[in-house]
Amino acid sequence: MSREEILERVNGVFREVFDDETVAVTYESTAADVEGWDSLRHITLIEAIEDEFDMRFKMNEVTGMKDVGEMIDIISSRI
Amino acid sequence: MKQYRFEDMAVGMTHRFTVQLDEERQQQFMRLTGDTNPLHEDDCFAKGRGFEGRVVYGMLASSYYSTLAGVFLPGENCLLNECKIVYTNPVYIGDELTVEGTVSDIRESTRRIRIAGKMTNQHGVVVNTAVITVSFTDRKVEE
Repeated sequence: MSREEILERVNGVFREVFDDETVAVTYESTAADVEGWDSLRHITLIEAIEDEFDMRFKMNEVTGMKDVGEMIDIISSRI
Repeated sequence: MKQYRFEDMAVGMTHRFTVQLDEERQQQFMRLTGDTNPLHEDDCFAKGRGFEGRVVYGMLASSYYSTLAGVFLPGENCLLNECKIVYTNPVYIGDELTVEGTVSDIRESTRRIRIAGKMTNQHGVVVNTAVITVSFTDRKVEE
């Protein structure tokens, strides 16, 4: 699966978790760029992405990701 | 009170206990919440709406999921994050409910678990189900 395809599916997860069809993240997006992306929402997001791609993050990855691109790199390495 | 830590949890761990939803609890809940809907207070009204009698507050019954997680599974280290409840059948004053929870999912990444909850009345009828997500207060997620 290409990075672009992963990003598209990640965006679908974001829209569902944030209940907002207008959310559109890019590789450079961070929590500061998405309204409501707080620590609890981050945990919900991580679990929803794990479900979407049938993979698991490591605990240090959950707190260490600096942007969506890094998240996609991790997903890409696990699927 | 149980004191399970995240590391102690395993899929399939189960706990169950029983509770009787009596008149006193119904009245206490009404006073506490101010929910004076006649479905819970007036037998005639409730029967007129097709029920056997006054209906126990759904949230009174499901509040025992708080006890399930906070006292037993996992107990002291619990922090309730989410509780998605589906009410499937009415509970009546005097019903005895068996509250049951089984660990259904463990997420190492977020140090959270999910518990599949179910309450069954004395006739074996499921009155509600729940998916409960809890985290643990015994250790903070590493920065």
